[in-house]
Amino acid sequence: MNNSKHFNVTIRVWRQSGPDEQGRMVPYEVKDISPDMSFLEMIDVLNENLIKKNEQPITVESDCREGICGCCGLVVNGEVHGPDEHSTVCQLHMRRFKDGDIITVEPWRVRSFPIIKDLAVDRSALDRIIQAGGYISVNTGAAPDANSIPVNKDNAEEAMDSAACIGCGACVAACPNGAAMLFTGAKISQLALLPQGEPEKQTRALNMVAAMDCEKFGNCSNEYECEAVCPKDIKVSNIARMNREFMLANLFSKH
Amino acid sequence: MNITFIRRLISASIGRKVLMAVSGLALGLFMLVHLAENLLLFKGEMAYNDWVDFLLSNPLTPFFEVGLLGIFIIHIVMGVWVRVEDFINAPRGYEARKWQGGRTIGSATQLYTAAAILAYLTYHMLTFRFVNHDMGFYQMVTSAFRNNFFVAIYVGGALAVVLHLSHGMQSAFQTLGVSHPKYTPFIKLGGWLVALTMMGFAFISVYYLFGLDLGAAAVEMTVVQ
Repeated sequence: MNNSKHFNVTIRVWRQSGPDEQGRMVPYEVKDISPDMSFLEMIDVLNENLIKKNEQPITVESDCREGICGCCGLVVNGEVHGPDEHSTVCQLHMRRFKDGDIITVEPWRVRSFPIIKDLAVDRSALDRIIQAGGYISVNTGAAPDANSIPVNKDNAEEAMDSAACIGCGACVAACPNGAAMLFTGAKISQLALLPQGEPEKQTRALNMVAAMDCEKFGNCSNEYECEAVCPKDIKVSNIARMNREFMLANLFSKH
Repeated sequence: MNITFIRRLISASIGRKVLMAVSGLALGLFMLVHLAENLLLFKGEMAYNDWVDFLLSNPLTPFFEVGLLGIFIIHIVMGVWVRVEDFINAPRGYEARKWQGGRTIGSATQLYTAAAILAYLTYHMLTFRFVNHDMGFYQMVTSAFRNNFFVAIYVGGALAVVLHLSHGMQSAFQTLGVSHPKYTPFIKLGGWLVALTMMGFAFISVYYLFGLDLGAAAVEMTVVQ
């Protein structure tokens, strides 16, 4: 194996032993890194070394490692999900860095996402927003024919774009106000755009916004930092749609 | 009587934002009308004073003033409320943080320009509204515009409004859910144009500060002679 391109970096990582513990940044040298490694693989290498030295490995959440699960939210050098545009940390490769770099790695620092340990945060606030109405109520029975409900092609595409949201929480972490409106907007939009979501769209908008407010997220100030960092390129037009759906439901529904 | 929908305007985050957006747009509209009225200064003392007299003699004017004050209060209260919540909930503690290009100078300074505008407005009321108007409105305004200190503050106020609206206009439309791939670019452009139009206030004051009206009057005098 040709190791000539391998290099060394120093990473400064947030270490926090538990939710209520005091955390701090700790520097680690990581040697002999391949430029083809992903950022998470680099942390794996570091963790293996830590384990060999009988030290606590760094807790970091990851699952699919192909950019579709939304687990691996990290702030790398002050950039949410790292320097690559519209990408997750697992899709970030070490070739973006060079020998001798000092890389700062932090968790989402959001009031509604308490830190569990080190880089792992509890994003269940987003789950509770979904539970408030991010679904359609369908009675059980035989699966309906796929073509029985016509859907406009543009709407289908747009709903799919909204549904691409992986709930990683980057929008909240990047928001100057810690607002979850891009997430909630996408989740309201993906259903509001389709006939299957139509019957419940008013109560959905009212309930999901109420749940969002309950979780102590900030208010959107329309600065669009969220759109800039979203790994799935979710557009802020989803927030506009949520505002629209919410106000229409507030004015014209019976609730 | 079910008042949930009214309560929600205040209790829900989006409700508060909508109130701020609607009142903000109304204030922007008022500013445009105000600027048009100020332009009457260029038509001369008679035209300007006649217009002011018309406004003052109109029985609806006091109601309009109270309404305007109400809109201001809604905008300020909702703005402060939203910002206090944002301050509490803002992510903090990042060792390093880089903005990714969504933020603008206008959006990042929204609260500061708001404070500057409020401070200016108080000064504006104290110097133009709650004073003795015996000398006539045209004289009052133009003599103020010949004062360096006053014009400096006046131009500062106008700049704060420009910066505030550079973000505020498009933000209001987004909050009201007006978003469309065809029209949003025009709304953003229009927002900037409305914001820049507010430089008109500064232009008028500077025009008088440098005595450009006197130059025009002198030319007229020569022609008459």
